Formats: sequence, C-alpha cells, structure tokens
Amino acid sequence: MSNPSLVSRRSLTSRIMNPKYIMIYATIGIFLVMYLFGAISYGEQGFTTLRTITNLFVDNAYYGISAVGMTMVLITGGIDLSVGAVASLTGMFIAYGTTVLGLHPLVCILFSLVVGVGLGLLMGWVIHRLNVPPFITTLTGMFLARGVCSLISRESIEIKHEMIDSLASWKIYFMRLQDGEWVKVKPIAYVNFNVILFIVVLIAGIYILQKTRFGRNVYAVGGNEQSAKLMGLPVGKTKILVYGFNGLCSVLAGVAYALYVKSGWNLSLMGAELDVITCAVIGGTLLTGGVGYMIGTLFGVLLKSMIPALITFNGNLLSWWGKIATGLLLLLFICIQKLVLGVTGHKKTASTKPIKE
Amino acid sequence: MKKRFDLAAITKSKLTWAVVAEVLILLVCLIVRPDFFKISYQESTGMLYGSLIDIVNRSSEITIIAMGMTLVIALGGTDLSVGALVAVSGAIALKFLRWDVLEYTTPGDYTVCSYALVLIVPLAVCLLMGLFNGLLIAKGNMQPIIATLILMVCGRGIAQILTNGKQFTTGYSPFRVIGQGSFLYLPMPIWITAVVVAVVALFVRKTAFGTFVESVGINRSASRLSGINAQLIIFIVFALTGFLSGISGLIYSSRIMSNDSNNAGLNYEMDAILAVVIGGTSMTGGKFSLAGTVLGSIIIRTIVTLVYYFGIASEATMAFKAMIIAVVIVLQSEPVRNYFSKRTKKRAYAVKGGIIE
Repeated sequence: MSNPSLVSRRSLTSRIMNPKYIMIYATIGIFLVMYLFGAISYGEQGFTTLRTITNLFVDNAYYGISAVGMTMVLITGGIDLSVGAVASLTGMFIAYGTTVLGLHPLVCILFSLVVGVGLGLLMGWVIHRLNVPPFITTLTGMFLARGVCSLISRESIEIKHEMIDSLASWKIYFMRLQDGEWVKVKPIAYVNFNVILFIVVLIAGIYILQKTRFGRNVYAVGGNEQSAKLMGLPVGKTKILVYGFNGLCSVLAGVAYALYVKSGWNLSLMGAELDVITCAVIGGTLLTGGVGYMIGTLFGVLLKSMIPALITFNGNLLSWWGKIATGLLLLLFICIQKLVLGVTGHKKTASTKPIKE
Repeated sequence: MKKRFDLAAITKSKLTWAVVAEVLILLVCLIVRPDFFKISYQESTGMLYGSLIDIVNRSSEITIIAMGMTLVIALGGTDLSVGALVAVSGAIALKFLRWDVLEYTTPGDYTVCSYALVLIVPLAVCLLMGLFNGLLIAKGNMQPIIATLILMVCGRGIAQILTNGKQFTTGYSPFRVIGQGSFLYLPMPIWITAVVVAVVALFVRKTAFGTFVESVGINRSASRLSGINAQLIIFIVFALTGFLSGISGLIYSSRIMSNDSNNAGLNYEMDAILAVVIGGTSMTGGKFSLAGTVLGSIIIRTIVTLVYYFGIASEATMAFKAMIIAVVIVLQSEPVRNYFSKRTKKRAYAVKGGIIE
C-alpha cells in the first residue's frame, strides 16, 4: 500500500501481523481446524493421506478458476452472477462443436473465449456507461447465456474427442522412492490438467492484483470509486476489463468442468455463481469492495470443498447437511469479519455501509 | 406549453417504459395468436379461461414475493433467500399433510395434521427465517446480500432434511383450493395476490411506513438522526418478505400438490428482483413503486407465455427473457432517459434521485 522501501524496511513479523491479513489467517485457521477434525475422526479411513488434499483440488478446480475472477470483480465492489451460466455455455459449445459439428475442440474453446470475454466486456460496459447495477446486468447476462445454452441443446451431450480424452486422462502421479525405484504413493494421488490450470490462473490473478498498475486500480476503484475518479485513474477501463477478465475465468472454468465431466448439459453448474461468491467471501473478500486477496480465495475454495469431503468420509450424513454447514460457515465468517474489522478499526468495515447510504 | 411538460414527465418516468414494453409484448402475442385476448367461461370449474387470466394467475408467486422485495430494494438491499424459503414452506406444508408417508399409503383426500397447522406452521417458519435475516441485517449491521445468502445456501438443505429428501404428494382437496381453486370466476392465486398487494399497499401508503422505508433507503444515518427507528424498519421489511415467501411457497406446492425442495422457487429471487427493477424501483434504494412491481412481474410472465407460443422449450425462455429485459433496462437507464428528456426539451439533469455522479 505505502512506499515500497518503507514496507521492505519493516520487520517480517510486523508485516505478517498486519491486521489486513487477519481474515486470511482466520480462513487458514478454520481450514486447519477442520482438517484436524477430519484427521482425528476419520484418520483410519485414510483422511490424512495426500489423496484427500489432491482430491480437494481435482474435484473443485473449476470453482477455483472461477473464484479467481470473481474475487477481482468483488474487489471492485461489483458482482457477477453470470459465471455459472457462461461456464455451462462453454461446456455446451465444446460438446456441441466436437460431437455434433465435428470441429476441433481448440476451435470451440477459442469461440467460447470470444463469446465469454465479449459478454464480460459488454456487461462491464453496460455497468459503467449505462449505470445499471452490476447485479441486474449480470443477472441478465446469466439468463442470456443459460437460455442460449438451452437453445443449442436440452439434452446432455457427451464429448468424444481424442484431444479432450487425452487431456482429461492426463495425470501427474505423486511418486515416492522405495528401494531405489520410484513408485506411486498409496492411495494413488495425482494432479491433472485442471489443477495445473487452476494454479496458473491463481498465480496470474495474484500477479495482476498485487504487481501491476491495473491491480492497484482495481483496489482503488473498489475502495472508493469517486476518489479513484478524482485521482484520474481509469475507472471505466478498469471496471470493464475486470468483467472481461472474469469472463475469461468463467470460460476457463467451463473448460475445466467439461474436462471433469466430459459432457455438456444446459442445466449444469446451476447456482454455481453463488457457490463461487461464497468461496470468495469465506476467503475474506468484502462484498462492499476494496478488500480481498487471492490466497484467501484459494483457502476459501479449499474450505468449502472440505465440507463435502468430510461428509463423504462420515458416510452416514445426508449430503444436504453440506448446504447447511456451508451456510453456517458463511455466518461464522461474516461474524468473524465484523469482529475483526471492528476491533482493528479498519476503515472499510461492513458496518459503515450495511445498507447503501 | 403544459402539454409538452407533461410529455417530458411521461418519458422521464420509468413506469412508462414498463407499460410500453408490456403493450408491445401483448401486441406481438396478438399477432402470433389472434385469439390471445379471448376469455371464455367454463361451466364445469366455474372459472374464466384465457391467456390473460393465465398470465396473471401464473405470475402470482412472483408478484407476492416481489411486494416484499420492493420494500427490501427500496431500503437499498436485496433478499436472496426468498427462493429457498419457498422450498422450505412447501416442504413443511407437505410434511404436515403427509406425516404418515412412511406407511406408504396412497395420497388420498386427507391430512394427517390439522389443516390449520398445515397453513400456519410454514408461514410461521418463513416469518422466523425472515426475522433471522432482519436480525443479521438490522442488529448485526451486515450487508443484506451476504446475510440473505446464508439462508439461500442453507434453506434448500433445511427443506431436504425436513422431508428426509423425499418428495411427498397429497390429494387433500382444501389444500388444492389454494393453487387450483377458484372464487368468483377467477383462479384463487389471483385473489390471494390481490389481497396481499392491497394489504401491503395500504400498510405502506396509508401509514407513514412507506415514507420511512424510502427515507432509510436514501440515507440511513440521516433518517436515524431525524428520529426514525431504522433498525425496526429493516427488521419489519425482511420479516414481511420472509412471510410473503411462505405464502408463495404454499401456492406453488398447492399447484403441484407436492413438494420439490430442489426446484420449488428456483431463481425466484432473481425473477422477483427483476420484476421490481422493471417496475421502476432503483437498486440503489429510495423511491419505490408497488404498482410498477406488479406490472414488472406480469411482464416477466407475459414474456414466458409469448415464448411458449413460439413453441420454444421452457428452459430457452431465459434467452428471450434476457433480451427483452435488457431492452427495458437499457431504456430505463439514466443516460438513455436523460437523452430522451433532452429530446423533449426537458432539463437534462433534473432531479436525480439522490445519486451523486
């Protein structure tokens, strides 16, 4: 935030103890508590193995990819409800293009990128130029994408293409040295293309947000749009590009999801947008804008996906408890946020503008 | 001169565009189906039949919820939990009707618990959930969108657990009356909606409550300083919205004579918010129009009906809904309205509803 030379002169501990990171610590802390709980309760069933952790990534990579874009949108003080629908549309493009039209998947992905990023930029333009609230604009975008998806096909289409097959089955297995030769760890743990994609998008997100001028603008616009405008920052450009970037993330999430389920369905990822927002909020991003970190979002995604994992290990609980647990987790985090931000006297507390002034 | 002034005022009004949109859509309907406005009387059921009546009938669930949503949006908030509350309400009602479901009796014309319980308990639970939202927002000073996200995530899980994940069906005729019965030639939901709209409108406009809501929506601190109990207002509005969702849930489950925790009230929050916005209430809070909301809800339903006439799949209606809504929203947006009022030689930047730009 302040002069870089000043920051570097500060001791490491004071930098780590910076109150602005408290929410991230809370997220990581609760993640560790839940992991510990799982390890103690289901240790014998193999909860503590590497496989549990890698599966968290493998099964939720598409949420993570989308959450990176969503975090950036939320930091500008906006919201994007269209991500699930755009991801679903991407899956449908790939499925319809390869299976029905016989196109190469890369062509379909390229087309999806044009559509997704185009829709994002268009929504950003409408939000900025026509002053329509982001909620309504992106809701319309969601309806549009979902509707077009249903116009293409109402049936689930299987994706059959050797490139998709080879990408989906491509895995890096974790190995360990045993008696002088490399063997796969038991139970088998691996990362696949989706996880790599997630990590790449996450690192790109961190870089853009923390190291580029554009990232600084994102925080400035979210902190106070009026001031940002008066400072001469390109508010409009920043806002439009953020929605474009989120469109890109949605398309990549759609590609990851298509690789994960290997089919396109018009009703897939229903309500995913709110799951993604939940991940970001659990990760410490404020919906009022101006506050949020990608690392927090990463742990938000892991934390949210830990709940179904724990329920699976339990085996007796109905999966609907997962929804209730997620809701309670959300409540817990909002309360922590209120307490922490209230105590540290952070300027941007939710309490200053709970209902728009 | 006076006439020109009136014209300018009319083009500036958001409600005008909603009326124009509705009339245009109805005209298209008329072209597609020449007998669109025909209303016939059917002896056997004692009900009037016709597309117009069907549109109003089918829009009831959204209209009822949108009454509460109008007040919520006038406060500058949003309530995302309404769809989940619809599911909860239906689940509880069917649970009380079919408590004996474990014995696998055929769904006959009977109820296990008394009919009063079937009606009162769902409404009471929804009222309580609304109070919970209100508590978090008014007392906890949380952002409405996050506070209601909690119940939105939890709600369907709660509904599933209440019914053990089962889908009950019933044949109890007094329950059927709510959604499928008729009274004075018109379907029952229309009458219920009319009563709800009348009660809310009287409560809001004949007492100072509506003015208080607008005042809190425009500036919460200033309203508090001028002696309005802002917390109480927020509390009442969210509780009312919860209660209205309960009514809507009863109508929905009575129409299908079953509960469907996964699909009941799906996307209702989005439709209700759209109805409010199309009706001319700004998402930024402040002035609201209940009449506009009723119109907005009917517009949404008319679009859906129109798309059915073209023989397009129900899921694909979303795309058309999105396009027409996009047109209405763009026409309603500030720059466009200012452009039109400039054309009619009206002062370009007249009263701008408290938006500092």
